[in-house]
Amino acid sequence: MGLFADLRDSVSRVTASLFADDSEPKRIGIYGPPNAGKTTLANRIARDWTGDAVGPESHIPHETRRARRKENVEIERNGKTVTIDIVDTPGVTTKVDYSQFLDHDMEKDEAVRRSREATEGVAEAMHWLREDVDGVIYVLDATNDPFTQVNTMLIGIIESRDLPVLILANKTDLDDANIQRVSNAFPQHETIPLSALEGENMDEVYDKIAAYFG
Amino acid sequence: MPHQCTNCGHVFADGSKEMLSGCPDCGGNKFQYHPSEIPADSPSGDPTPSDGSDADSSTVSGAVGRAADRVRDAVAEADTPADDPTPDDEGDTQSDPAADSPGATAPDADPGVRAATPDDEDGAQATARSEVVDVSTLPDQPTDGRVVEEPDTDEAEPDLEDLREELNDQFESIRIVAPGQYELNLMELYDRQEYIIALQEDGQYVIEVPDAWEAADPTDVE
Ligand SMILES: Nc1nc2c(ncn2[C@@H]2O[C@H](COP(=O)(O)OP(=O)(O)OP(=O)(O)O)[C@@H](O)[C@H]2O)c(=O)[nH]1
Ligand SMILES: [Mg+2]
Repeated sequence: MGLFADLRDSVSRVTASLFADDSEPKRIGIYGPPNAGKTTLANRIARDWTGDAVGPESHIPHETRRARRKENVEIERNGKTVTIDIVDTPGVTTKVDYSQFLDHDMEKDEAVRRSREATEGVAEAMHWLREDVDGVIYVLDATNDPFTQVNTMLIGIIESRDLPVLILANKTDLDDANIQRVSNAFPQHETIPLSALEGENMDEVYDKIAAYFG
Repeated sequence: MPHQCTNCGHVFADGSKEMLSGCPDCGGNKFQYHPSEIPADSPSGDPTPSDGSDADSSTVSGAVGRAADRVRDAVAEADTPADDPTPDDEGDTQSDPAADSPGATAPDADPGVRAATPDDEDGAQATARSEVVDVSTLPDQPTDGRVVEEPDTDEAEPDLEDLREELNDQFESIRIVAPGQYELNLMELYDRQEYIIALQEDGQYVIEVPDAWEAADPTDVE
């Protein structure tokens, strides 16, 4: 089946390059652990360039439990336009426990349901990573330790697929954000600091998006 | 793992790769996973819970221990057309999904449909199926698949812990520690061909294979 999927992929790519004057927009997955600010970033990108939003943001982890896609986001850089599809994915984790939601004023039933959906969401995010993204924006909360199993494993998978990847050290508006710690963790990749919430350093983010995924 | 086409009901033996290229009967590409089907080697209509798996004892992943083996055999032997679910199900209401499956797998019955037939009749079956499809195609619904079957609680059996262990041994990608508590194996999830749509506490899930994924594109929900 992998073969079949590969075949289909390459057929559609060939078809696309034959019939489209420009190549298909690259599909860029926004990945990272829960609560890193993926949706906040996706919303900012979408609002800046399309006027729409992608999905709800929340301080409660696993707010995003289905991948959401915003297509044909046209980003202008230096007189050139780069078109991408952005996919906001559910936060990836190795453990989901409903009790983490009980602190957030949630009934047990709802917390259990949320954790089930979050688990499905991780499965979905991993599925997208396998089949459906051409590049990755990896978002980390720079106030947290970047050396986690999830980050190591995901970055490893991304590298093994040879996908272009940008590491974003998010939440630089917070005092305990440590950008250096993030770039030290993944020295083989470029790390860009930003605050998705405040919109700090978005120009550099767009420059790099255009350079990496254009 | 025993899967069933949600369209025509064709049942695929445990571990079958066949469905990955679509249902050979109807071309459908949505399949429901039934971890707890018990095959025909148990007395037909035996209402006794035989494997003791209950709402929190199952895993999502591949196989379901002894039950799965027996399903494989049963499917191989019987290989009955799956679209006529046999309404012979006893004990659905009082036993758990896993437990009542033995009755479902009488030689003339369709082993695959049992878990999807809460009240044992064709109409209900059809409804259940269509609901399954609805669930999987409406990503934003908070529905968790319970429309397919209420995860009944069941009294623990002596070997419940054993079974749970056995299930978890075979667990590959998602481990249900307890209801609402999961451990995920990211590598296995990444390696999975199929896409899990709906997870249920009783260990069932609905999957969609990549062709359906392409066609229906359930994530295109902005
Ligand atoms: N201070 C600060 N907070 C941020 C920033 N970006 C996001 N947040 C906050 O972090 C929380 C999580 O943001 P989301 O965008 O929902 O995070 P996510 O990565 O999409 O989370 P999941 O969908 O649960 O995986 C929210 O309360 C945001 O307001 C930032 O740059 N600075
Ligand atoms: Mg989110």
